[in-house]
Amino acid sequence: MASSNKKISKRDTGKLLNEWSQEFAVFVPSRETGVATMAKWDGKDTSFLDWHRNTVIPPKANFLPAMEEMFNFQRDKEGYHIELPPQDKHKQLIFGIRPCDAKALAILDMTFSDSYQDPYYLSKRKNAVLVGVGCTKAYDSCFCTSLGISPAESTDVDLMLTDIGDEFLIEAITEAGKKLISRSRGLAEANEADETRAKASKEAAYQKVTRQLDTDNIKQRLLANLENKDYWEKIAAKCLSCGVCTFLCPTCYCFDINDELVKQQGARFRSWDSCAFPVYTEMPMENPRVEKWRRVRQRVYHKYEFYPMSFDVTACTGCGRCIRLCPVNWDITQALNNLPAKV
Amino acid sequence: MEQKLRDGAKALLEQGKVDYIIGFEPGSLKFTTTPLITRDKDDIDRLVINPFIVNNLSAYLTELEGRVGIVAKGCDSRSIVSLIQDKQIAREDIVIIGIPCPGLIDLSKIEQLAGKDRDEVDDITREGDRVVIVVDGKKQEFPITEVLFDNCLGCDMPTPSEYDILLSESSPLVTDKTSSRKKIEGLKGTSQEERWSFWEKEFSRCIRCYACRNVCPACFCKRCFVEESEPQWISPVPQWQDNLMFQVIRNIHVAGRCTDCGECERACPVNIQLRSLAKEMYDIVDDLFQFKAGMDKEAAPLLTAYAVEEAEDFIR
Amino acid sequence: MTITDISHRRKFLAQGNVYLPHIVIIEKIIDETPGVRTFHFNFKDEKLREEFSFESGQFGEYSVLGIGEAPFCISSSPTRRDHLEFALQRVGKVTNALHRLGVGAEIGFRGPYGNGVPLDLLQGKNLVFVGGGIGLAPLRSLIWNVIDNRDKYENIDIIYGARSPSDLCFKYDLDAWNKDKAVNMVTTVDKGDENWTGKVGFVPQVLEQAAPSAQNAVAIVCGPPIMIRFTFPVLEKLGFTPEQMITTLEKRMKCGIGKCGRCNIGNLYVCRDGPVFSYAQIKGFISKEY
Repeated sequence: MASSNKKISKRDTGKLLNEWSQEFAVFVPSRETGVATMAKWDGKDTSFLDWHRNTVIPPKANFLPAMEEMFNFQRDKEGYHIELPPQDKHKQLIFGIRPCDAKALAILDMTFSDSYQDPYYLSKRKNAVLVGVGCTKAYDSCFCTSLGISPAESTDVDLMLTDIGDEFLIEAITEAGKKLISRSRGLAEANEADETRAKASKEAAYQKVTRQLDTDNIKQRLLANLENKDYWEKIAAKCLSCGVCTFLCPTCYCFDINDELVKQQGARFRSWDSCAFPVYTEMPMENPRVEKWRRVRQRVYHKYEFYPMSFDVTACTGCGRCIRLCPVNWDITQALNNLPAKV
Repeated sequence: MEQKLRDGAKALLEQGKVDYIIGFEPGSLKFTTTPLITRDKDDIDRLVINPFIVNNLSAYLTELEGRVGIVAKGCDSRSIVSLIQDKQIAREDIVIIGIPCPGLIDLSKIEQLAGKDRDEVDDITREGDRVVIVVDGKKQEFPITEVLFDNCLGCDMPTPSEYDILLSESSPLVTDKTSSRKKIEGLKGTSQEERWSFWEKEFSRCIRCYACRNVCPACFCKRCFVEESEPQWISPVPQWQDNLMFQVIRNIHVAGRCTDCGECERACPVNIQLRSLAKEMYDIVDDLFQFKAGMDKEAAPLLTAYAVEEAEDFIR
Repeated sequence: MTITDISHRRKFLAQGNVYLPHIVIIEKIIDETPGVRTFHFNFKDEKLREEFSFESGQFGEYSVLGIGEAPFCISSSPTRRDHLEFALQRVGKVTNALHRLGVGAEIGFRGPYGNGVPLDLLQGKNLVFVGGGIGLAPLRSLIWNVIDNRDKYENIDIIYGARSPSDLCFKYDLDAWNKDKAVNMVTTVDKGDENWTGKVGFVPQVLEQAAPSAQNAVAIVCGPPIMIRFTFPVLEKLGFTPEQMITTLEKRMKCGIGKCGRCNIGNLYVCRDGPVFSYAQIKGFISKEY
């Protein structure tokens, strides 16, 4: 029996990407800049096909960059003239996004389209095609399965690829994905054996995620511990108040807005900001989160209490970056798993 | 040594000699430790000593109130001494539990040797001046100098000279001063243009998370110059020029305080070669002033002390 | 009356790129106190001048281009639309830059943001305005709004205070309301000087002495956090229920539209879900000090 899915050999994937490059700016996992990130594909290197798991810089950076020009301005006799920066008309195709990071984009979409539309994020987002690739291994920091995410399955991408040995099984998830498949050359029909292999591959990937987060009644447990200052103080003690966990979190979106001025012209930028920084909430007369435990608590509650209150979804996908990249191994799963049952 | 540490730390808490103990406990990831900051003697049995106790715990001293018992390797003890010199902490408030440090293992070097990510390595064991790495059940042995941190290879003080409790006699550190400066010498061998483009690339990926600053015990300012807006010394927007400028200014600020503990580079999530700047400054300070931070608690702090007979008159 | 959740009344008027400021021109500058100035301004674009609308309590993001942007409420009344006003204290980079500007200068403005005070729910009520310092800025927008529609409301009580006589803002308004027979006006200072003949005392105490009735009344409170914190218990003592108290909150803001994150109180963003809240809505948060 034929399956509706396609497949492509890993060897030919480069050709497929080259074909897509005619239509899209193709981004792939890369260490070219010195850190693993989704970078513009050079048209040749396909070593990322052997990568098993997510990048250090999350793909949110392709939609909410670390810094971004919002507009620029000039001043002359008639006053100020404000202009938008030239937009990249090229559609982005992000190849190799992992299910945790794709889900994270779906979560970010909520904030950036709620009430007011955020034109910078949304224009890039609407113009992008996501081609997911399932993880074949997990970091020991990964805990996506605790949040209902499977490391090799996603509905938040347009196409989903599963490693089935020398080939990828390709599933079209969205209409855009279906259309892309239908106009792509070099794809073979997947057969039942491929489907079986894909299923096994997904199950194997699932089993490789070993870290567990206890999500039972998490909202209630957090609410009960909101005022448990002793607990938050104790677990916040080793936090350095740096921005690693938030900046590299695929669902953290907080940003700062700043102007740059050179003579009569300048520009306004937005750049990543972090609730871990004391200055983030600082006002001239007071700072509601001057104490470290309040900042640590804010990060945890934003993800597991406030975001669910607003959007009915946890703003964490278990990608594990905050644990893995933290200079002192501050571990959110420990913080949540050890929440006192009774205060 | 671990048992001696636990007994000592427990006694300090029980006898009320300290309010806090700062040490290391097993981390939640393979081959990691994590800082343990506690007032609770029941936590003390979690304290460990192993080749992965990377953090310079003295960074926490300026934010804790009360008396603190702190586990310190040689470089950490120098940072503590430097903080005392700068009057950021008082010697009598600190109980230093010294660890003679034979050098720490750099997991990124292990990854390179093993060809695997750190969590895929089965085991790492130090055996004297050798290290045994087990990958996929297969043992591989390397000289320890191939896996120690660059800063450990250049260590000037493996065993704390300033301590209240010393956990064992000093153990010999296998150093390799040449390898310790290898990356720096590599850069020095290139042209100015090449170096400039090297640093442009490095600082282009800086995201201004300030992990380098916040792990650094020498960065003890309550308010960092980057947070000042009037005047604004550098832009908060992470453009590479400003990122570089931030790091250059930070290096000048910690000159004479930096003990080459290597934490800035290790903490950097985007792998910027920060120690090359820090260590070069460390060596410049030594060349110019014959000064190594935190070696002598009686010494005056390098850049904040002034002698009338000094040649330069800019300060008068 | 139910004003438990004012946030649900919010409207989102912005179209196009919400982050792009409009150019407005400063038409007049008034020195209110040594550190506080009021700016009268108008849109450079004729069409916007006509079309722009807002509600009392809403705010805007004002920018000195090249220096930065900061939020301030619109302190003039929507009933008086020949120009707009905002008042600000010099406290930092942007406010200092604004204070350096003169008449004719161009600044950026985007807004209005946040929710306004729910005027329809105030109609037919006795209104008690409690203000402190520059906290009168949003209140005066509302007070003039109410006075300009005087027949829609019952009694008007205003209790306003500042640290010292020289810290009293909008003295021309205070004079006008003092003279207005349809308004009960009490002005107080924390500490008087040789020329001060009025009341001396903190706003919450003076409010307690004035003891406005809670019967068919709504209190609208705006001032420094410490004043707000001490005013609510007094109002409760006077018989006001949390649903009868409205306030505006202040947090550090950047985007003004609930995206940049910093002004949250629990899952609410002060910029988007406020800045006007009923006490019933935030009572829990204030005691818990998020």
